[in-house]
Amino acid sequence: MIPAKTILSMSIISAKTVLLVSFGYFLLLFLVAWYAEKCRKTGTCLLKNSHVYSLSLAVYCTSWTFYGSVGKAATSGLEFLPIYLGPTLIAFTWWFLLRKMVRISKQQNITSIADFLSSRYDRSTALGAIVTLFAVFGITPYIALQLKAISQTLDILSVPLATSGTDLYGYASKLPGNIDTAFLVALLLAIFGMLFGARSLDSSEKHEGLVVAVAFESVIKLIAFLAVGIFVTYGLFDGFIDVFQRFLEQFPERQDLLRLGTEQTPYTKWFTLIILAMMAVMFLPRQFHIMITENIDEQHIKSAMWKFPAYLFLMNLFVLPIALGGLIINGGDTSQADYFVLTLPLSTGHPWLALLVFIGGLSASAGMVMVSSVTIATMILNHLVMPIILKMNIQAQNFSRALINIKRLGILGVILIGYSYFKVIGSSYALVNIGLISFAAATQFGPAVIGGLFWKRANHKAAITGISLGFLLWFYTLLIPAFVRSGWLHSDILQNGLFGIDLFKPLELFGLRGFDIYTHSLFWSMLFNLSAYLTLSFFAQQSKEEQVQAEKFVDVFVEQSPQQVGKLKRISKAPTVMEFVELMSKFIGEKPAQAAIAEYLSHQEIDARGGLSDHEIPNLKSFTERTLAGHVGAAPARIILENYLSARGSEMEDVFDIFGTVTISHADSREQLSVLYEAAQIVSSKENFQKTLDNILELLAQQFKFDLCVIRFLEPESMTLMVKSLVGSSSKHFGQFERNLNMETYIGQAFLSNATTVVNDTDNIDKPISKEHIKRDGITCLAHTPIIIEGDPIGILSAFSKTAKGIFTNEFIALFENLAGQVGIAWRNDQQLQKLLRGREQEREMQIAKEIQKTLLPSNLPDLEHIAIAGLCVPAHQVGGDYYDFIERDNSSYDLIIADVSGHSIGSALIMAETRTFIHARMESIKQPAEMLQALNGYFLKDLDRSDLFVTMFYLQYNPANRRLIYGNAGHNTPLLWKKREQKIVTLDTDGMIFGIKSDITFEQKATDLEAGDILLLYTDGIIEAESKDNVFFGIERLGKLLEECDDLTPQELIDRIMIQGRIFTGMRHFNDDITLVVMKILE
Amino acid sequence: MKESQESSIREAWGLCLILGLIMINFPFVHIFNTELLIFGIPELVLYFFIGWPASIVVIWLFVRYSGTDVQTDSKEVEDKSNP
Repeated sequence: MIPAKTILSMSIISAKTVLLVSFGYFLLLFLVAWYAEKCRKTGTCLLKNSHVYSLSLAVYCTSWTFYGSVGKAATSGLEFLPIYLGPTLIAFTWWFLLRKMVRISKQQNITSIADFLSSRYDRSTALGAIVTLFAVFGITPYIALQLKAISQTLDILSVPLATSGTDLYGYASKLPGNIDTAFLVALLLAIFGMLFGARSLDSSEKHEGLVVAVAFESVIKLIAFLAVGIFVTYGLFDGFIDVFQRFLEQFPERQDLLRLGTEQTPYTKWFTLIILAMMAVMFLPRQFHIMITENIDEQHIKSAMWKFPAYLFLMNLFVLPIALGGLIINGGDTSQADYFVLTLPLSTGHPWLALLVFIGGLSASAGMVMVSSVTIATMILNHLVMPIILKMNIQAQNFSRALINIKRLGILGVILIGYSYFKVIGSSYALVNIGLISFAAATQFGPAVIGGLFWKRANHKAAITGISLGFLLWFYTLLIPAFVRSGWLHSDILQNGLFGIDLFKPLELFGLRGFDIYTHSLFWSMLFNLSAYLTLSFFAQQSKEEQVQAEKFVDVFVEQSPQQVGKLKRISKAPTVMEFVELMSKFIGEKPAQAAIAEYLSHQEIDARGGLSDHEIPNLKSFTERTLAGHVGAAPARIILENYLSARGSEMEDVFDIFGTVTISHADSREQLSVLYEAAQIVSSKENFQKTLDNILELLAQQFKFDLCVIRFLEPESMTLMVKSLVGSSSKHFGQFERNLNMETYIGQAFLSNATTVVNDTDNIDKPISKEHIKRDGITCLAHTPIIIEGDPIGILSAFSKTAKGIFTNEFIALFENLAGQVGIAWRNDQQLQKLLRGREQEREMQIAKEIQKTLLPSNLPDLEHIAIAGLCVPAHQVGGDYYDFIERDNSSYDLIIADVSGHSIGSALIMAETRTFIHARMESIKQPAEMLQALNGYFLKDLDRSDLFVTMFYLQYNPANRRLIYGNAGHNTPLLWKKREQKIVTLDTDGMIFGIKSDITFEQKATDLEAGDILLLYTDGIIEAESKDNVFFGIERLGKLLEECDDLTPQELIDRIMIQGRIFTGMRHFNDDITLVVMKILE
Repeated sequence: MKESQESSIREAWGLCLILGLIMINFPFVHIFNTELLIFGIPELVLYFFIGWPASIVVIWLFVRYSGTDVQTDSKEVEDKSNP
């Protein structure tokens, strides 16, 4: 027996050497990753090797397990084992659980666990965000733990330990120039992540460099651990048996370390740890990423099922010997137990072995940090940043560059946050225990993921509530105690419960005592999580879209039957292929978008015009959505497409697929296919609706020798089925009368139950009312099938035979239903045609009204010697409510009128016509403007009240003899008068009110004298309320200024100038309101 | 045929998982939780470190078995469809 060597002296390695070797190792990692990427470009993908996949899964073994397992074994005994036994157990399920997740993720381009859950549950943005937040919360500190391990082990290697048992945390990095090694390492890892984990935005794309580097690291850490294990077991001791024997001899009181059911490791805790590890290995974001997102071949799962557990076994083979050996050599001192793997070679004079172990630990940390940072950055981008970007509705041509940079920043950010955690709370209880705490966090995703895979009813409300409750309990029962033990919270809450309520003690919630912290937390968090998940899944309703998505997940291995394929959809106002490409380019960059579409189109049939057929467009939509999902996550991709389509006014609608729903046997196929084909031709012919229906029935009757075929449509008012078309020998009952809707008749049953009803032999029928008629007319068999539009029946197609029996086979029924579907199409076509015709009719009527209204305005204003006058009326719509007029009164004076009826409808136009008629008719009897306004007010009082309209008017009268203008106003915009001599503008106004409000008003009348060169401008509010893009009105001032500047123009020129300025101002050719302008200029 | 084969494989895996869970938990492990040393190694440690690789071997055998089986199955189907 070789005696265990006593501690000679603690050998150390110079810090320079350690740093050099570490950076040399990082360089090697970069080279490995770079080589993997290079191989990908040359077409030899290293990921195709199943060993690489299995090894990359070992990212599960972080430095927490690399160093911590031995520490755990030395202090708590077998407690380290469940962390590895759990994954071995769950590996049994991989062939149906993991493979299902991989298959789904490939089909849906899923990028992360958050994306997986969000995709399954109604592509819920909220769920994605919640999962991401929890992952950030639970995992980022874990990154800190890795950085801490690197920093501490570096210290141990290069700083002599004065006395054994010194608290390692007390050592700061004493490296040359006070370099903070943890920071340098963090930066290197961030650069690695940015280079190899965020090469492109497409997260569903594989990251060869990253994965191969992780696999490489797994090899290194295994070699390092086996080396130190063999060294301790066979170098320091004489094999396993020797270690155990000596340990039991020296420390008989510590043999509990090798037992279960002890105070340290009760069976409940053992069980809990197994469950936590089973869940963590599947649902920790980094595991999900490596296992699912980076998987390129489902067959790799098969080999990983035994290779990964075997790896874990080898990693653990020497844990006990090292731990027990460390205890023996250190005289039972456990203070350095976490670093026995390092201190044992060091203290026995094997610094180079220690250096290898250090590199192994570095690998364990680096692998975890690299993968976690990339995964979390992806989740942050897709589930926190993208929804905000989409909400803000930023209009940019191309987001892709910005997005990829956000992702790179995210990686850097996550690692730096981890680094600051390490700096700030490096030695706290909370951080040291974050390993299991994060396992417990990942466990909360378990019910929603597994339920989502196997249970269609599970819905997003259930998942959101379950996960949220789970995390709340997790926070309360695990994190709060951890915070208290770290000294950040007062211990009051642990001792007395929240608000001093005993039942709310975080470690004895609702009075549950006697369990360790993890069992207690797992029990309560899972109880709430699962109960909410199951209850809401039972009671909450799923949307149709969520159901479809649930089916896609649960039935991912079920081959779609032709009937399911037959459920076709089409998109109305569908975007073109190029428009889809433009949309994708915006988010993923032009090149990837072009490449994706080229790949897609290479598998599609393209019609003669170079486009995709109608029913291919929904597939293209799904493809676009999936491609986007690979880059930005499922929920944002859905929002992007929905917004895009709804902005275009596009909608998904059901399509009746002529051939998709019929399965036809070989024997009958030709005849039946020809019937369907002919029916389709009839429907698409340009015949009128009635003729189409008649032809279909004719075809049906002829081909299948029916004696009578009838189509009935529902008359909604009387709720009866009325015959629309009938072919064959009519009888008194069948075909002639309308049918009431009730279940007493077969036709009523077919309509009400919305399903085909068949009687193959009328000798056995169970409806007495029908029986009577059927017997009387000698019907031997019959069938009714509903004509369905958007899921609801609108009529019935019926066929009757008087000779044959049993002719309605399942095949025939399928064909019969198909014909009914075609009748539905014909009906819909006809409805659309009618709608179009009605629309056209209306348009034509409006055109006529417009022409009539035009004639009501003065077409040519008179050419007079003392005044020049021009007018313009531009209705905003086809007809308008503006009116102006210029009427000559027995050569002595002229009446000038401008009026505005509210609205732009036919009603406004009619009131305007009425106004004109009134004025022209009463011209002779009413001489003064005020009188005319008074009379109009009285006249309109009743009419306007009824129609909810109102009229404003300005009435002027000009006498050229004395150049006197008299005027009155009924609430109209005040005309502008340019006084040439005084070079100023005055507005004309009098007291008055709009028509139709009050009966007893007096309209004031005023007068003013005009001079040569004066210009009178009448207008309606259309021009002054014309709005610019910045929501500024054109306004009276601007109008007045124009008048002032252009006083040398003729009235017509002035009007043209105003219109041009108005259009420039609004930036639009058309105005929103009617515009009327009248200009009168006094000549010399 | 293939589908039922798939589902029986799935059931077998599920059974393995349940058996495994039972075998590494209370009360089953309690049988081995003694002070007894076998070849100088505590019985419980020996149980885990023999049972663990044994279960890995089981998975390995199972993967091989089910893998080849599914392949021959699909071959048979092909043969039948082309008499």
